[in-house]
Amino acid sequence: MNPKAAKFLPVLMFVVLWLAYSPCAQAQVASATISGKVTNSSGTAVASATVSVKNVATGEAIEARTDSAGSYAVKNLVPGDYEVSASAPGFASKTGKVAVTQSATQTLDFSLAASSNAAAPSLSELGFPSSETKANPQEQARLDKRSHMLQMHQRLGLITTVPLVATVITGALAGGKSTSSTDRDLHAALGSATAGLYFASAYYAIFAPKIPGTKTEGNIRLHKAMAWIHGPGMILTPILGEMAFSQKSQGEKVHGIAQYHSDVAIITAAAYGVAILSVTLKSGSASRSAHRVAAALGLGHSHSADTIVEDDSSANR
Amino acid sequence: MKPILAVLLLLTLPAIVRADSQWVLEKSTLTYHVSHPLHEADGVSHEARGKGVCQAGQCNFLIAAPVKSFNSGDSNRDLHMIEVVRGAEFPMVVVRTELPEAEIKAGPIHADLEVQFAGQTAHYKQVLFQLTMQGGDISLTGTIPATVSDFKIDPPKLLMIPIKNEIPVRVEMSWQREK
Repeated sequence: MNPKAAKFLPVLMFVVLWLAYSPCAQAQVASATISGKVTNSSGTAVASATVSVKNVATGEAIEARTDSAGSYAVKNLVPGDYEVSASAPGFASKTGKVAVTQSATQTLDFSLAASSNAAAPSLSELGFPSSETKANPQEQARLDKRSHMLQMHQRLGLITTVPLVATVITGALAGGKSTSSTDRDLHAALGSATAGLYFASAYYAIFAPKIPGTKTEGNIRLHKAMAWIHGPGMILTPILGEMAFSQKSQGEKVHGIAQYHSDVAIITAAAYGVAILSVTLKSGSASRSAHRVAAALGLGHSHSADTIVEDDSSANR
Repeated sequence: MKPILAVLLLLTLPAIVRADSQWVLEKSTLTYHVSHPLHEADGVSHEARGKGVCQAGQCNFLIAAPVKSFNSGDSNRDLHMIEVVRGAEFPMVVVRTELPEAEIKAGPIHADLEVQFAGQTAHYKQVLFQLTMQGGDISLTGTIPATVSDFKIDPPKLLMIPIKNEIPVRVEMSWQREK
């Protein structure tokens, strides 16, 4: 070896050893994990149990909570010895010790016994059937999907009101004695946009997951009932509109079934408006609005209106 | 002989005074109230069950109700409520409290409550309840000042406007003593 280079060898060795064992080097390796499951003496998962993970050397403690399956995981721990405690209301707490190494995952499960305080009753003593106390993550996922889709239905439904109102307004200009096609084209374009948004909104409502065993009650019944009017109306209106458009374009007076295009459109728009009001306003307001619209349309005092009133009374009791 | 009897009486007297007793929830009405600029709604449950155990002058009470049992009169609203509070994952709302047995008498009573709901635990200090005695049974009414944020619930919105944070829960219960 070159004598000059050999002089630096001890220094080089010191630098290498310092880098390997320095606190800076070790602190970068906080990649260990402690995980496990907390159950009761029957093996049932204990949700929302508090798990405390304490580094024995530094005294630093981290708290976590078990999920609905009773599982917990504390990540990004530096290697070392840890004291892990699990506790939950109604149970005696338990403590365990575990040593973790770099990038390793250590599992520590707890089986908690009921609290030795005999005076504290437990949930199992109340006699609820297990179907009512047991967590159901699949049903929660179904509810989440349902809520998400109905939110999309609501947003698209509200957005649809803009072109819908514009279509109704321009409808007054599209007919008449005017031979200009501009107004008719604008009305047709707005009508197409309304139909597109409407059916997109309807998709989310129709295909949102249903929850078995749920009885439909309240203003949602009126909301769903209106769909039987504005749904077919939203299909028939463009068909009649296309016929009327064609007749006008050929210089003819709108005749035949096409002359009912505006009537069908008005009824469709009114039913759509009641549907929105039914889930927006308070119970009594929604029913009164339905009655006013029905009276304005000359539909009279129907059986369905009586049913709605009964629902309103029960909701206000 | 008499001194022996007196001693025996003195020894058994504390046990007589501190006799264990149990309470059972006979009937209940729990009502939550939700406020929104366009809606006010109350959800009612009559399906709570409860038990109280008194020992050594101290009583521990446990009351629980299924989240799904709350009915606001609108099935769509109720399903959305269950989704928002994670009611399928955490199906029960559980209330625990501890009271000195001597305070269980007619009149106002303040109780510290531990409420488990939506996977969270919240503590309410000194909640006021009114107790009325009916023979050996008690009726209790009061309101728990719960809020949406206490349980880390994402507040539902209607027309982009969220509900108010306060969701007070009115409690009406009838308890029967058992021995």
